[in-house]
Amino acid sequence: MITRRRFATLAGIAAGSSLLPHPVSAAGAADITLQIAPFTVEASPRHSFNTVAYNGQVPGPLLRMKQGQPQTVEIYNRTNDPEVFHWHGLFLPSNIDGAMEEGTPMIAPGASVRYSLTPQPAGFRWYHTHTFAGKNLTKAQYGGLHGFLLIEPLQNPAPYDREVFLALHDWGGHFLPSDDGYMNPTYDVSTINGKMLGFGEPVRVKAGERVMIHTLNSSPTEVHWIALAGHSFDVVALDGNSVPQPQTISMLRLAPAERVSAIVEMKNPGNWILGEVRKHIQAAGLGTVIEYAGAAGRPVWTQPQNLIWSYSQFAASSQRQISSDVIPTRDEVSRIELTFDSKFEGHGNEELWRINGKSYPQTDEPILKTGRRYRLIMKNLSMDDHPMHLHRHTFEIRQVDNSPEMRGLMKDVVLVPSRTTAEVEFVANNPGNTLFHCHQQDHMDRGFMMVFRYA
Amino acid sequence: MLRSLLISNCFLWASWNCAAQGNYEIQVYGADTVPPKNLMVELHSNYTVSGQAKILDGVYPTNHQEHETLELTQGINDWAEIGFYVFTSEQDGHGVQWVGDHIRPRVRAPDQWHLPVGLSVSTEIGYQRAVYSPDTWTWEIRPIIDKALGRWYFAFNPALERTWHGPDVNMGLGFSPGVKVSYDFTREISGGLEYYADYGQLGAFDSLRQQQQQIFAVTDLNVSPRWEINFGVGLGPTSATDHLIVKGIIGRRFNWSRQKQAIE
Repeated sequence: MITRRRFATLAGIAAGSSLLPHPVSAAGAADITLQIAPFTVEASPRHSFNTVAYNGQVPGPLLRMKQGQPQTVEIYNRTNDPEVFHWHGLFLPSNIDGAMEEGTPMIAPGASVRYSLTPQPAGFRWYHTHTFAGKNLTKAQYGGLHGFLLIEPLQNPAPYDREVFLALHDWGGHFLPSDDGYMNPTYDVSTINGKMLGFGEPVRVKAGERVMIHTLNSSPTEVHWIALAGHSFDVVALDGNSVPQPQTISMLRLAPAERVSAIVEMKNPGNWILGEVRKHIQAAGLGTVIEYAGAAGRPVWTQPQNLIWSYSQFAASSQRQISSDVIPTRDEVSRIELTFDSKFEGHGNEELWRINGKSYPQTDEPILKTGRRYRLIMKNLSMDDHPMHLHRHTFEIRQVDNSPEMRGLMKDVVLVPSRTTAEVEFVANNPGNTLFHCHQQDHMDRGFMMVFRYA
Repeated sequence: MLRSLLISNCFLWASWNCAAQGNYEIQVYGADTVPPKNLMVELHSNYTVSGQAKILDGVYPTNHQEHETLELTQGINDWAEIGFYVFTSEQDGHGVQWVGDHIRPRVRAPDQWHLPVGLSVSTEIGYQRAVYSPDTWTWEIRPIIDKALGRWYFAFNPALERTWHGPDVNMGLGFSPGVKVSYDFTREISGGLEYYADYGQLGAFDSLRQQQQQIFAVTDLNVSPRWEINFGVGLGPTSATDHLIVKGIIGRRFNWSRQKQAIE
């Protein structure tokens, strides 16, 4: 199938190639260099996947940048396919944000590109490819092109001893009929940092440490639930943004592209499993071992019996808890109503996804006025949950899953449950084309995206 | 899952010597199996509007027979299920009669094999009373291949049958293929054709007029993953085939693992 999105990709390559002759000539070495090249992920000795990765590793290298400190990043595409590099969660210009729908030029095969950027805002972000996969469940986000990006704040009190970064991912995807009668991706293997449970290096800790665990769900399509046996999580940030009400909870839920930053007090010596709460996903490999110094014995897992999570527990309970960097309240908020549904394409196919009855690139292009506050009212009529992502901006979750009105919870991805309405607000403070889409790769590929334009 | 459950198997008993046709469960199998901890309960209702009108070799005529078949299919694991059938017949002059029972284990190629088509194999063993089928003990092995392509669905069941007790016990393997082609008109409504045949002994097929061949126009209603609804009208063009049959299937899936589903 060649979709309009695919057409846009090809058009973008042409534009990008002409704009960025190979090699890019620039003065001096870049602060960061990334190579996109074929790579084999060995999830276990019996489970290997030929994919594409950044700098020969999955996840890609941890990039640390200082908030507001200009950086140069050079990216080489050593593959046979055009690529684009998305800075997820950053406030960047459209031409380098990393989505061809916004106007970012593609990086042609064999070509390179150099970006100069000033990273904002501070927090746990990530980077990943933003290409089209279609029915090839090894490409785009189905593969290994993702990595951690930490924008360190100018002042970091750092109430923890060390940081650990975990990426949850699914591999070996194939389409199967689902219970709702459509073809949906399912996976053979799930990993943390590219390794199945029992095959990666354990996370080694010491009793008494306070470990900041930054968890990213880089899965192309799957929501994941994780718990750490014998421990709890002090959740301090969602999608890299501090939450008004930190909570101590037993498990985390992460929709595709979501991040959770939580401090774990290592006060229960032993060997423990941090893994998927759902048995069949953990059995497919999603887990890692937390190993205390000097501990012996097999890692222990304690099986929770329920899945527990809500956004609202982290929202402000009073006006005082809303930090000063949260969007200020304004009397006038422009409402943008968005209805999500799908168009039937046969039981042997995926649905064609629609926003207000249209699939990308036919979707509406709302015009934003700089400085104005907007409320997106997302009515999900479909039978699927959708992790909705707004590029280049942060939004405030106001209501989700029939919750009361919330304040102060700032994110860039929100999971909109099936047959519910979610509402978020954001200020149009970053002029330029801005992509809004479901972060499920198969849904994006089937039209679930739209572009906001600035007046 | 719904899709494959809607399209199950074919069961047209045929006795090559006596030309008796048992239209008890008329379906083409899809390759998928019922998930573990799930029970599929189906009722097959078939009425022979125009069939064999005379008693032949002690076998009741099929004309105006109403058949009700209860099918219970229990999922064992992700790639195996077992089915059990209770066949009944109602006819003027004979009342409601128990006809027989069959048992049918089935396995399929696991998803991890990533085959380009759905593939499974079932085997069916059973007994039916001689007044309904002169071959009382029969065995069948049925490879099943299917494929969904967009709105189109294809299934092929090249079944082989063997009589263990009855007049055809020395006839070797019989070949009884079933084919289904359907199209999704809407999310809920599919329609298509099903073809059932019994060509006779493998390697020595019957003459065309002695073969059983039947074509059904069918519709499937995909109203819910839990429910299966199928309706069809079949024509038999050869002299050995019942000429007009109306069939209906209604099925309900029961999930016994619902309480644990969230973490399973």
